[in-house]
Amino acid sequence: MESFIVRYRNLVVLLALLMLQLVGLAVQVRRTTGGTSTLEDTDPGGVRLIRLWANAVISPPERLIHSSTTGLATLWSNYIDLVHVRRQNKNLEDTVDRLRLEQAALLEDARQGERLQAMLGFQQKYIYSTLAAQVYGSSGSDRSHVFYIDKGWHEGLKPDMAVITAEGIVGKVRDVFPHTAQVLAVNDATSGAGAILETTRIRGVLRGDAAGQLEVVGVTADERIHPGEHVLTAGGDLIFPRGLPVGIVKKVVRDPDRDGLVDIILSPAAPLDRLDEVLVITSTEPRFSPQDEKDLAASALEQSTVPAAIKDQVKASEIMAEKLPGLMDPNLPADQQPLNDTSNPNPAAQPPQPLHPDEFSPSANDDSGTTPEASSTPKTNHPLAAPAGPGSGATPSSKEKPQTTPPRNP
Amino acid sequence: MSVLGAESRRDMEIRRYPLLVYTLVPLGALVLQAWLPRVVGRYDWFDLPLLVTIFFALGRRNPLQGTLMGAVMGLFQDALSHNAIGINGIAKTVVGFLAGSVGIRIDVDNHTIRILLTFALSLLSSAIYLFVARFLLGLGADWNGLTELLRAVGNGVIALVLFPLLDRLRVRD
Repeated sequence: MESFIVRYRNLVVLLALLMLQLVGLAVQVRRTTGGTSTLEDTDPGGVRLIRLWANAVISPPERLIHSSTTGLATLWSNYIDLVHVRRQNKNLEDTVDRLRLEQAALLEDARQGERLQAMLGFQQKYIYSTLAAQVYGSSGSDRSHVFYIDKGWHEGLKPDMAVITAEGIVGKVRDVFPHTAQVLAVNDATSGAGAILETTRIRGVLRGDAAGQLEVVGVTADERIHPGEHVLTAGGDLIFPRGLPVGIVKKVVRDPDRDGLVDIILSPAAPLDRLDEVLVITSTEPRFSPQDEKDLAASALEQSTVPAAIKDQVKASEIMAEKLPGLMDPNLPADQQPLNDTSNPNPAAQPPQPLHPDEFSPSANDDSGTTPEASSTPKTNHPLAAPAGPGSGATPSSKEKPQTTPPRNP
Repeated sequence: MSVLGAESRRDMEIRRYPLLVYTLVPLGALVLQAWLPRVVGRYDWFDLPLLVTIFFALGRRNPLQGTLMGAVMGLFQDALSHNAIGINGIAKTVVGFLAGSVGIRIDVDNHTIRILLTFALSLLSSAIYLFVARFLLGLGADWNGLTELLRAVGNGVIALVLFPLLDRLRVRD
């Protein structure tokens, strides 16, 4: 047995390595319900560890090369490549003289432009929180359109964050390491995002093809789709906010696998193969300008003061109700409640007797001799003999029978 | 192609390199493979880790070392991508083994032979990659024959320049 292994050592090692890798691959691949195979959405722990180690080995020299080339380019352009500087300087002086003349004419236009720009609030147009990152490396394979950025979870990055540039969307964060992150570009075949055509509002799925071209698939053939139309993010994939530029329709081709559907080939809005700086959308919560925040705070304060004023009013009415006598006293039995009290605490005073009674005097109605005093009183028409008014203090009780006007004697 | 008998291989020189070369050259290949596509854009028709695997496997004339070198380079490439770890590993393991085995039997000092061998092994690597991804794993990987052909040509052209440069690093008696 030992001699067999020694004799076929090379083959044994080859087969052992192949078997190991095949087992490793089997762990990573998952069978879907549709009968197809796919990779796990998240790497298993061991696979993630291998990626972390590989990244830790390759990233430092890669970043060093990147920064060195940038420094060398600066050194070259600023200190070495100065052959034509004198001639350029003369040309520039001429240009400055010409520009001074143009400046005066443009000044008024510039002022107008500033006003319009401020009015549109162009700088505040994008309200999501973003983090700038520098692209320093790639996967090195055209089968895997991923690249690496110099920000990681120490800087707050998380998987599935959208990566964009000012021109358009770029990809999404796939794997996050301490100070770096792997970004899956939108032109990768495994990438997917919702897209919508700007004018026709036709929706489809954005992905990349084998050649790394950006395309929208799953679109029903439609004559309205023409080259030059802008394509935006649809916003339904929970990664890219709605309305970000994706690209421009380059051509429309028939879907080779599905009848009646077309694939829309796009020119990407962002330069996907020449990326230097990207923005990672770290939060989709709106980010307001200082003035907006001030207005919001004032609005919130105003809303909080209105309920407080209403509360004060309710409290004041409760205090007043406690101090005023009520119709129902909880401490008294039902038959002694003030509401049932028929005794009048303020009985009506007897009206003063008229000095000169006449036919309109109350006693005059009782000619039958009900009031002997009144009958003995001489009748008169003196105005002062009128019944007591409201201000006289002789208001009759409401329980008294109302007086009826006696018939005037002819 | 000059094919040698088993007897003559004893007389052939086994190339040896300083340990630093065994470490830095593969690392440099991996780093450049990750960095250069940013410079050349879509025209990344080369596979430097594959070239380094072939070079060392041919030079050492040892299938075992070629196998190990290929496995390490392939696994590193997989780890840097988002694909399953092992697809490139299997492809380059086989290529390293074959290159080491062929190195015993042919004259690897001949540049033409090395370039043709690189071209053929590059195509084989692509074929194995496609076979594993598509047929063994059923991942439905997209494939472009022209790109693979251009990559094989690119590898051959780079090998034309790279292999003589790396030859200078070997330990001479």
